[in-house]
This record gives sequence, structure tokens and C-alpha cells, in this order.
Amino acid sequence: MNVQPAASKAFSRRGFLGLTAAAASVPLLAACGGGSAAQGGGGAAGTIKFWDMPWATPAYNDAAKKIAEGFSGANNSKANYQIIQWNNFYQTFSSAIASKTGPAVSTGGGFQAFQFEQQGQIAYADKVIEKLKSNGQFDDFLPGVLDPFKSDKGYVSVPWQLDMRVFWYRKSLFEKAGVSLPTDWPSLLEAGKALKKVGAFGFATGAGSGNNYGNHSMIMMMVNNGGGVFNKDGELDLLNDRNVEAMEFVLELVSNGIVDPAAVSYTTDNMSAQWKDGKAGFGLFQVNVPQRVGDTSGDLLVADPITGPHGDKATIVFPNNIMMYKNTPSQEASEEFLVYYLGQLKELWRQKLMSALPVFKSITELPEFASDPNNVKIVKDWQPIAKTFASQGNTLNANLAALDGGQALNQFSQSILTGQATDAKSALQTFQSSLESVLKK
Amino acid sequence: MSSTTAPSGLSRARRGLAPGGSGASPGKRKSKLSAQTTRTFFWLLIPSVVLLVLIHGYPLIHAAVQATHDGDLLQTGNFVGGENFAAVLSSPAFWKAAQFTLWFTIVGVFGSWLVGLGLALLLRTKIPAGSTFKVLLLLPWVVPIVVSSTAWNWLVATPDSLIPSLFRSFGLGTPLFLADPTLASITVMVFKVWVSFPFMMMMISAALASVDTTVYEAASMDGASRWQQFTQITLPLIARSTYISWILMTIFCVNDFPTIYLLTGGGPVSATTSLVVLAYRTVFQDFATGPGVAIAFVMTMTLVVISVLLYRQIRKSSVE
Repeated sequence: MNVQPAASKAFSRRGFLGLTAAAASVPLLAACGGGSAAQGGGGAAGTIKFWDMPWATPAYNDAAKKIAEGFSGANNSKANYQIIQWNNFYQTFSSAIASKTGPAVSTGGGFQAFQFEQQGQIAYADKVIEKLKSNGQFDDFLPGVLDPFKSDKGYVSVPWQLDMRVFWYRKSLFEKAGVSLPTDWPSLLEAGKALKKVGAFGFATGAGSGNNYGNHSMIMMMVNNGGGVFNKDGELDLLNDRNVEAMEFVLELVSNGIVDPAAVSYTTDNMSAQWKDGKAGFGLFQVNVPQRVGDTSGDLLVADPITGPHGDKATIVFPNNIMMYKNTPSQEASEEFLVYYLGQLKELWRQKLMSALPVFKSITELPEFASDPNNVKIVKDWQPIAKTFASQGNTLNANLAALDGGQALNQFSQSILTGQATDAKSALQTFQSSLESVLKK
Repeated sequence: MSSTTAPSGLSRARRGLAPGGSGASPGKRKSKLSAQTTRTFFWLLIPSVVLLVLIHGYPLIHAAVQATHDGDLLQTGNFVGGENFAAVLSSPAFWKAAQFTLWFTIVGVFGSWLVGLGLALLLRTKIPAGSTFKVLLLLPWVVPIVVSSTAWNWLVATPDSLIPSLFRSFGLGTPLFLADPTLASITVMVFKVWVSFPFMMMMISAALASVDTTVYEAASMDGASRWQQFTQITLPLIARSTYISWILMTIFCVNDFPTIYLLTGGGPVSATTSLVVLAYRTVFQDFATGPGVAIAFVMTMTLVVISVLLYRQIRKSSVE
């Protein structure tokens, strides 16, 4: 017996297949669809389009907008300001640049400038550097921050802030555990064991959705032992002895319960909550942790750098940078704007809007910055030993974008943090093979 | 004048001929009419065709180009033929993701259907404040997935979150719902069922509403038990809606990116990486556009095949 209502019989095969094909095409459309942010064309004549990311609270973007819109160039050129969200930012930039509706100048991902340079979209910043030399700002750069941006063809972009990874600790937990701050790896292990007894973790991190601190902790420990993902010639070199030794040590921390077993799934918010709730005793984090986690009682402090078993002392840094694109109403105006903007950066730190280190010495000397002893310690003790993700190599490149946040590093970190990887060398071998398949020669 | 050479007015009219016409060129008249009709159809179809080409055709062609080249989002790169497909299909990561997608879809479709069916039947009975319950039960479907995934994260993410704390208070240990690969997979599937059951409930409720209650009364008079009524009357009567909801939910599950990505990011160690998450990560995190789009193509083809098979089942249920 056919008990279906008559109306439903009108449901034709073609109609259904059309509907199905349309719905099933969603992944394809999602995979190749363009971004959503492109606005207008190349901007009005003489107007520089400056795209910026939400680097801190909305107050940061308000201040940055004010600075950008305060620009007035020699030929009466102006600048407008647009915020680009981090979600799918690379897609947003790519589709806008492909349709010639992208920015003339922008901040963005740490290695974005190198990715677009590879695609011939970047305007080199050599003339900007010359202008910075003539106005005295060049000598104001902290040591070593400019070098990673110099390629064979010129300066790919100009750094404006340093996203530093440093060890933080909660003073009261160390007092409660009755243990000294770690100065090297054996004391880090001992401190971790002592902290565990008071219900805290001595190697706090997180590797959940959108959280790269776990990845950074792995690379930091390699670099801290004189290793790194690449050798001095910039070739992939994950299986060197220093890396193996570093990862064996992290696995030892995991097996001793010094790493939170749930850390592998922690988002940055979960991780911040662990710091705020006194579960994290010691671990790698960014600048301005007290403000970020909401505990400015003075209990959260920057630790001293620790020394690796061979005497090495290093951490990692992501020098965020401002890049110029070839698609601009006027290259001279782009350069003029960039020099102007770099000169106004101090205002962002003066208003305490930044969660990163400045690149200029003069900003580190501002009372608003230097009044925080944690900031002073980072500049004095951590910045001089900071190395980039390209370590042991020196120059940044487009491949680092696929390393930072890519699947290979993420899976490696998670396999270490869950203890699934019982053998450091095998885990590194898998990591190397995965990276080789995605890195462009 | 024979009837074969001089057709009557009635028969001429049936053939579409004018009364005074010679009748020598009926074929010509017919083809002229067809051509006009064809032209009309053509012009009427043009807007839809243009829209379809713009919305689906262009991206599909662009995606096909990307899947067969080794470029990136900006540059097409070199033609590599089926290399990207071969690389994807020989990758263990792809098959692991396919396996998770399969389980995620099976649990998502049938789990949400069972819960939705149960609630739809419950709400069909006269319970106090039934309409209010119906609205409240819709909330998981209505609330933005970003909000619900954040809420779930806070419920299960850390050992001190509410659900692990409850387990601990009952002496059941401290399960790491998102950090343990098996538990993370289960958590994501349960989350999907929770998000999706209102959709199933509404589909089934609509189907049940069209069923004449006298059928049950008749069955009851014939001595049919409740279970027999459910299996012999209710399920067949809602079969068509059920199959359609299964098809739609299958597509929703296979294409579901935010439910998984916001809760686990595909981890830990790829335990919850579905094909759509793998495609996204391959394109936007590894910047390997060709292989990523190839994954999306394979997904699309699979979905079309599954949908056609289920559609045949719908036709079969209609015939029965």
C-alpha cells in the first residue's frame, strides 16, 4: 500500500539530484571559495589601504586606526584602515590580492610577507630602510630584529613587534612546593616533581584547537638545546642529536606527570584559565601574561632563561612585520606611510595596548613599558637570546608558514604531549617525513 | 473521398490542424511549434543557468583546475594530472580521516534520528507545556555553533570542568574527554547528535502530523499492539521523510566543519580529523591547495553516490 501523501510524489529525480549535487558541492565551494573581506578597488587615488589584524583588545585597533588615518603624505596622500580577522586571514589576503582589491600595506601572519614575496606580490622595503637610516630610527632597532627580513632581493618587510616566548612562573606555588626556580633541565624536572605534589604543573602548555603554544614549546626546547628544525644552511634537520635529546627530555616530563595530561586539548582560553586558577606553576607563554589571564596581583612573574645540558640558552620569537604590496596607488606613498607608521608605534605601547615586545629600544625605555619589571626582564634577559623558527638558520622564508600551525608540527606536538610517542627519534622521523611532503623545495 | 485521404474535422482538430488547411504539412507545423517552445524554454532557463554557472559551475571548474595543478591560492602552478588524487588516496591520513568521517556520519545520522524520533513521539502525546518543550528542544539547533562549542568546551575540557568533576564525585575517575583520542571521538559525535536531533525531531514531527489518527484506531480495533502499530504503521508512514532526513543529515555530517574544528581542531593526534577538516588544514595550514581540493572532490563524489543510493530507497518506499 502506498501511504505517501500525493504532494510528495512531485519530488522528481532530477530535482532531487540537482539539490543533492548543490548540497554536496559545499566542500568544494568551501575549499576554493574566496575570502570575504575585499572592499572596493585599489582605493581612491593617493589613498593607501592599510590592513591590520586584531593584535590585542579592540582598543588597540581603535588606536591603530587613529594613527593610520592621521597620515598625510607629501602629495596629499591619505590612508584608510581596515581590520582583518584572523579566521581564514590567508584566504582573505589571497583572494583580495588575486582580485587586485588587496591592501597597499598590511600587518599579518609572521611569515605572510615571505609567502606573498614568493608569489611576486611584495614590494621590497629597501627604500624604507634607507629612510629609517636617515631619520635615525634604524639605529633604534633592538639588536638582530631586522636581519631575518633581508633576502637576496631586498628587505621583504619591516618588523614592528616581537611575539616572544618566555617562561613564566607562579611565585606562590614555588613557595608552597618549597622548591627553587629552575635554572637548567635537571632543576626543571625537579621543580616539576615538587609542583606536582602541590597539584600544579611544571611545564604548562596547550595544543588544542587554535592553540600553538604546545608547538612552540617543542621547538623552543629544541632551540634551547642548540638544535632547531633547520640546519645553518636552512635545510630540514629534525633528526639531529640535540633535537632528539630535547624531545627525550620532554617525554620524561610527560611520563613524570609534569605536563598536564589534558593540555593536548587546551585552547588558549583553557590554558589561560589554568594559569589563573593556579594549576600552572611554570611554562612557556607570551608577553603580558598577568593582563592576559586576569591576575595582576604580582604572583605571575617572568623566570630566568634556563640552560640546556650543553650550555645553550635560547628561546623563540616571532617577529611580526609590516609589508608593502606591489598593488598600490603609489609606491612612494606606501613607503612614506610605512615610515610614518613606524614612527608612531610608541603610542601603542604608551597606551599599554600591546601584548608583544616593541622592536625599538626607545619604546622599551618608555615609562609606561619599563615600569613593569616583567617587561624589563624580557628585554634584558630573553630578547638577546631569542631565535626565530628558522633556527638554526637565520633567514625567514615562506616554508615557515607551513611549519607554524601546519599539520606536521601539530601532530608531532600532540603525539609527544599525549605520550603516544614513546620514542623521540621515531616521532621526529615522522615529523620530518610529514614536513618534507609539504615544504616547497 | 475516403477517410484516409480526407480526415474528419474532429480528427484534424485532434491533430492540431486548422479546419480549412490542406493537411499537407502537419509535420512542419508541429516542428515549428516545437522550435518556438524550445526557444521559450531556452530564454526562460537562461537566468537559472547563468546563476547555476556562476554559483556552482565556476567554482567547480576552478576547483578542478586547482586539484590538477601544483599551485597555491594565487598561482595555478603546473599541471600534474591525477597526481594530487593519487597522493591523497595513498595517504594514511586520508583513510584515517575517511574512517572517522564514516563513524561520525553513522552516529550523527542515526543517533540524531533515534533521539529525534523518540522526542517527536513523546511530544505527540498530550503532555503539559508540550509546545514550550518543543521550542526549548530546538535550542541546540538554533544556537550558533560557536556558542555551543564554547559551552561544551567549558563543560569537558579540563579535569576541573563540570562533567569530569561529576565523574570524579561518583568515583569514576577523571576522564579526559578531549585529550584522550577515543573519548574525544565519542565526545565530538555526541556533540553532533546533540546539535542535530532538533532537526530530526522537526522532520519526524511534520511527518507524524500528516498521519491520520483513525489508522491507529482501526489497528487498535484489529488487536494490534503498540509495538506493532509503531513498526507496521508509524515507521512505514514516516519512511519517506526519514530517508530524506537521512540524506540531508548525511550531507550535513560529512560537510560538518565547525562542530569538529571548534571543539577539538581535529585532534588529539588527528583522532577527530574528518575529511572536511583534513581538506581545510591541507589547504589553509599546509598551503597544499591541490591535494586539499582533491580531498574535497573525492568527498563530493562520495556524497553524490550515497545520495543517489538513498534516493533510490525513497522511490522504493514510495512504490511500496
